[in-house]
Amino acid sequence: MEPALRLSSVTKTFGTMRAVERLDLEVPRGALYGVIGPNGAGKTTTIRIVMSILFPDSGSVSVLGHPSALAAKDRIGYLPEERGLYRKMRVGDFLTYMARLKGVPDNQSRAFIVQAFERLDLHEVADKRCEELSKGMQQKVQFIATTVHRPDLLILDEPFSGLDPVSTRMLRDLILEEHRRGATILFSTHVMMHAEQLCDRVVMIHKGRKVLDEAVAAIRHQYDPRSLEFEPLDPKADLSGLTDLPGVERIESVDRVTRVTLTAECAPGEAIARITAALPTARIEVARLRLDDVFVQLVSADAGGDASELRAGLSSPEVAEVR
Amino acid sequence: MTKILHIARREFVATVMTRGFMIGLLLMPVLLALGFAVGPKLMAQQTKPVHGTVAVVDPTGEVTARLREAMAPDAVARRRAAAVDANLPTALRDVGMAGATTAQVRERTAAEAPRLELIDLSDVATARAWLLDRSVSDQRLAVIAVKPNAVRGNAGYGSYDLYLAPRVDPRLEGGVYDDMREALVAARSAAVGLARERVDAVMTVARPQATTVTSAGDHQADSQFAQALPFIFIMLMFFGVMVGGQGLMTSTIEEKSSRVVEVLLSAVSPFELMAGKLLGQLAVSAVTLALYVGVGLVVLSSLAMIGLVQPMMVVYLVIFFVVTYATLGALMAAIGAAVNEMREAQSLMTPITLMIVLPAMFATPILRNPSSTFATVISFVPPMNAFAMLIRITSSAPPPAWQIWLTVVVSVGAALAALWFAAKVFKVGLLMFGKPPNLTTLIKWARMA
Repeated sequence: MEPALRLSSVTKTFGTMRAVERLDLEVPRGALYGVIGPNGAGKTTTIRIVMSILFPDSGSVSVLGHPSALAAKDRIGYLPEERGLYRKMRVGDFLTYMARLKGVPDNQSRAFIVQAFERLDLHEVADKRCEELSKGMQQKVQFIATTVHRPDLLILDEPFSGLDPVSTRMLRDLILEEHRRGATILFSTHVMMHAEQLCDRVVMIHKGRKVLDEAVAAIRHQYDPRSLEFEPLDPKADLSGLTDLPGVERIESVDRVTRVTLTAECAPGEAIARITAALPTARIEVARLRLDDVFVQLVSADAGGDASELRAGLSSPEVAEVR
Repeated sequence: MTKILHIARREFVATVMTRGFMIGLLLMPVLLALGFAVGPKLMAQQTKPVHGTVAVVDPTGEVTARLREAMAPDAVARRRAAAVDANLPTALRDVGMAGATTAQVRERTAAEAPRLELIDLSDVATARAWLLDRSVSDQRLAVIAVKPNAVRGNAGYGSYDLYLAPRVDPRLEGGVYDDMREALVAARSAAVGLARERVDAVMTVARPQATTVTSAGDHQADSQFAQALPFIFIMLMFFGVMVGGQGLMTSTIEEKSSRVVEVLLSAVSPFELMAGKLLGQLAVSAVTLALYVGVGLVVLSSLAMIGLVQPMMVVYLVIFFVVTYATLGALMAAIGAAVNEMREAQSLMTPITLMIVLPAMFATPILRNPSSTFATVISFVPPMNAFAMLIRITSSAPPPAWQIWLTVVVSVGAALAALWFAAKVFKVGLLMFGKPPNLTTLIKWARMA
């Protein structure tokens, strides 16, 4: 089956800056795909190329079986990073207008909009002007506009940018709902946590180049940190003895948490038993894989880059998430 | 095409349904209507007539009595009403002109006639002393010293000297001249044995109503309006182009700055977006233009001057308006797409404003000789050519048809070139933020896209 999206060796430069370089990407139909990378990595340019808002200098694009998104615009939903509304336009009129531009007849779009208002708790906003809505409500309206034509492919550029925790959760649920409906979803983010929570598969981009394109499960397996996070009952306890335990390679303190790195052959369960026997323990668990660690690891190894700088551009979500 | 029409419709509705547009659209006809309705009332408010005493020194003894008659308010009003009748264009004589009918003008002039008391003094020195005497309460305004040869002058008639008190009403001097002229003509007529009525009859030449002869029939000519016609036509086109072009630029800047543009570009191509916006604002301009032209034709029709406007003139106005709007509107849309805010658009707008203003400056030389080499050359230099050709078409010497249609062809070519350039700039500019571009950057974008 033809993939929903295929980029072959796509390159795009702006003046002397190479925004995207020989990028290959294939998104299967029905996938939930994340494009991750720090700000300025080339994510938005890639998405704009996919949307035929920008055109590549070289390489080819196939969207839903068409050589350009222009031929399939009515089957694609796009939520750009810089998204806005007509401030003076009434919400209902705006959504009907967007539906018309997507080729949806008024009677169909009207029913969809009414349902969406109900579902998203947007009561009595149809006659309000867009400028009268709160930012969270505007986000909801924008998402309805993006999905009003029930797209086969949904492209979301930094969808969580600037959202508070409640809105972030609401948007995540909406994205998952669209995915369940059968839409292929491609979204970009520089907050790795969002990709970890949502995606089947991620592609990592750095300085316009793809550094990783893998299923999240495979990444977890491949980049298993093989380490434990440990907190002794007595904060002043001497931890130096732990290094002598079988299976422990090294011990380091990161962000007030002690990280115990295990040797390749050591099973985490055995190591936990040995550590808790050796020292009274407040907390011990297998360290969770973080995509930003994987990214930093890949990029640092590739170009000898400054890991702390890369980490700063990646791992700090603007808002903490409420779960 | 459906998407273009959806965009055009939104653009039209969003522009027309704003309070600002409604006010702007109705402002001109409302102002005109107000001028017609309120103007007469304001003008009918009588200014206070000049009031006071004038001394006359009359060595001939034949002027004073006649001057007293001529100064009577009734006589002044009668003369002024006759002057109004003689000077108003025929078509306007009994309809509203500047908001007042002839009857109203007569009434008003009668009420405003000076109320002057005339006293007779023996010599100029006494009269001057009388004028300087401020101790008395009467309003001493002036001294008229009639020349000894003012009535009987074999070697040419003398006139009179006028001495005024400080800070008198400026209308006095003209009023006194009018009265003295009447008195002296009457006195001189009597001196040579002619009846005054006879002299008036000899002096009166009725102004004819010119008739323009055409193969379709005769119609009354009004040279004053005919001279104004080219200016009216280019003003109409100017308004039409500016209303649409300005709206196009503003709405594009708004879409760009509110970041709604990228959402739109996910549904339509940049060219579709630009084409839709152009069409929508064209409809806005067309409504404005239709309203003004319609009102104008109704007014002309009511004045029986509709014959001055040939139907083809209106057809050419529509053609030239559409192509000029397409040319300049497209460029203004491109500017809107290129800048981040209205302020940045000003410098890029200068050449376009110049292109619109220049033809108005050329109007007078073109009208002086509509077939001159200058007029002909300007008729083929876009985008001024449409304005220039419109001036020539509505002038007294319209150009040959081939020149008109050649101008149309040149204008269409220019419009296509402008649309091509604008579409390129529009495509690149819409997603460009930051430093405002200059003309060189726009050209670079056009080559890049």
